[in-house]
Amino acid sequence: MKAVCWMGKSSMETRTVPDPELINPHDAIIKVTRTAICGSDLHLYDGFIPTMESGDIMGHEFMGLVEEVGPEVANLKRGDRVVVPFTIACGNCIFCKKKFWAACDNTNPNAHLMEKAYGYSGAGLFGYSHMMGGYAGGQAQYVRVPFANVGPLKIENDLPDEKVLFLSDIFPTGYMAAENAQIQPGDTVAVWGCGPVGQFAIASAFMLGAARVIAIDRFQERLALARSLGAITVDYSEEDVSVLTALKDLTGGVGPDSCIDAVGLEAHSNELQGVYDVVKTALFMETDRPSVLRQAIQAVRKGGTLSIPGVYGGLLDKVPFGAAFGKGITMKMGQTNMHNYMKPLLERVEKGQIDPSYIISHRITLEQAPEMYKVWRDKKEKVTKIVIDPWA
Amino acid sequence: MSISPLTEKPYAEALPFSIGASVVVNGRYLSPPEDKDGKIWVRSSALVLRDAQTLYAMWRDVESAPRWQENIIEVVTTGPTTSRWSMKTSEDDDAKVIGWDSEVMADEPGVRIAWRSIGGESDNAGEVIFEAAPSGQGTVVTVLQEFRMGKLASAWETLVGRNPKQAVIENLRHFKALAETGEIPRSQLDPHGDRGIIGNLKRSSYGETVPTPTGSN
Repeated sequence: MKAVCWMGKSSMETRTVPDPELINPHDAIIKVTRTAICGSDLHLYDGFIPTMESGDIMGHEFMGLVEEVGPEVANLKRGDRVVVPFTIACGNCIFCKKKFWAACDNTNPNAHLMEKAYGYSGAGLFGYSHMMGGYAGGQAQYVRVPFANVGPLKIENDLPDEKVLFLSDIFPTGYMAAENAQIQPGDTVAVWGCGPVGQFAIASAFMLGAARVIAIDRFQERLALARSLGAITVDYSEEDVSVLTALKDLTGGVGPDSCIDAVGLEAHSNELQGVYDVVKTALFMETDRPSVLRQAIQAVRKGGTLSIPGVYGGLLDKVPFGAAFGKGITMKMGQTNMHNYMKPLLERVEKGQIDPSYIISHRITLEQAPEMYKVWRDKKEKVTKIVIDPWA
Repeated sequence: MSISPLTEKPYAEALPFSIGASVVVNGRYLSPPEDKDGKIWVRSSALVLRDAQTLYAMWRDVESAPRWQENIIEVVTTGPTTSRWSMKTSEDDDAKVIGWDSEVMADEPGVRIAWRSIGGESDNAGEVIFEAAPSGQGTVVTVLQEFRMGKLASAWETLVGRNPKQAVIENLRHFKALAETGEIPRSQLDPHGDRGIIGNLKRSSYGETVPTPTGSN
């Protein structure tokens, strides 16, 4: 089959690799009908996430048709149409029982690698480095899905793939970000980053009762999408714009009730701290560039909530913890507990409350994927979201 | 809830303390024994959402150990308390196989099992205890294992790419996954493109050249 393989930093190649086979009793093989490049894949492309190996198959947002199931998968059969969550959960450990699916105890075969860095390991993920499990991803024609009895969501309607594909990651991720923001009706929410997750966080914040959402980015196509959802936009790259001042101006000096960092570890900043982070990470003296996190901690109101769907990988420098403590803020973060959100969000799509396909800007083939990684990373061609048809 | 202190010493020799694998004794946390005099110790715990009796039975069924213990090819029962163990020393098809005999020294259904080797190419002793979790949900399984740095340990370290300590930790992880889910998650057999020299070096350093046990016979 054809698959997008990581061959080193800034190097993706579409290669012919063996087809996946059933290995364990709860496995299924899925014929991928649509997959996507995720913003977090760009962290792999840029070499920010350790333990990638040449030849790793990329991709954790995918859906398709069940091709084959293992003997212990009773709920799926060949031909079923499914969306697969990017986190792999066993359903039986203490964390799955607590509905904290992203913290599954059992699905990371390389848990010891993550334990070294984080103390404990979370769930295995598709196509996201070996410390996260070493599973082959879904930017391919076929993929093996472990614990297919737990994760995949059956689609039993005739909605096109593009309207349900993002239930595999970014829509639930944006929704959980809004949920983590602890929004009360009438609240003002600020969202850094108007990429796909930021977009769904904005839409979800409104769904959860926010009166006003302020969206911060520097790319016009993304800011326009945010405005189309009803957000007020702040272009931080404009001359004389200070995000902190803007957020005070827009909230009567109070600050946003909740702040959402939908940017994560590769933030860009036009301030001095941006230069600092670029230098430090280049010299391996810092792993992440946390300028958005710093700004969000500064910006959020006293007693407010900071929600972090953006990925952070390692050790951060100069995080204003004194400000976080002094204002008594709450921080909520982490990988998405996908299984809690897929079904209710599918119902919202079925009812026509939201059409997630509005963020798609590019539809491509597997052969075009390596080039499009670069295009998106370099923020060219007005990319907002790239969807791949593996059979085109 | 810790189990009452055990005074029995079911090991190849006297333990540095007298309570086996327990982590808490008389309200105090006890750190695992130190490595010294050519002996290495490892202790690992896991919360498993199954009852102690089921987990005890799984562990006591020595002939099924190859399902969840890395590189163990075969275990044959040779008597009521004895068994013969065979282990591969690398993933190669023609890898050297080492063997040893093992004897169960203490056997308390649902509570603990202690064992030691009684000859052959490995000098080891160990104990596993099963305690109800404080939350009332599931069982805390704690294993304490001792190795002498003999042929086994050096073969293991040089050829298998796992030191014996890590192997004990990984085996408990496999045991937990098998007990909770009925399988041991594996990713080593997934398709991939060309690994190249660096990719293969990484595989080895991440411990991925040690085949994950299959979880089945």
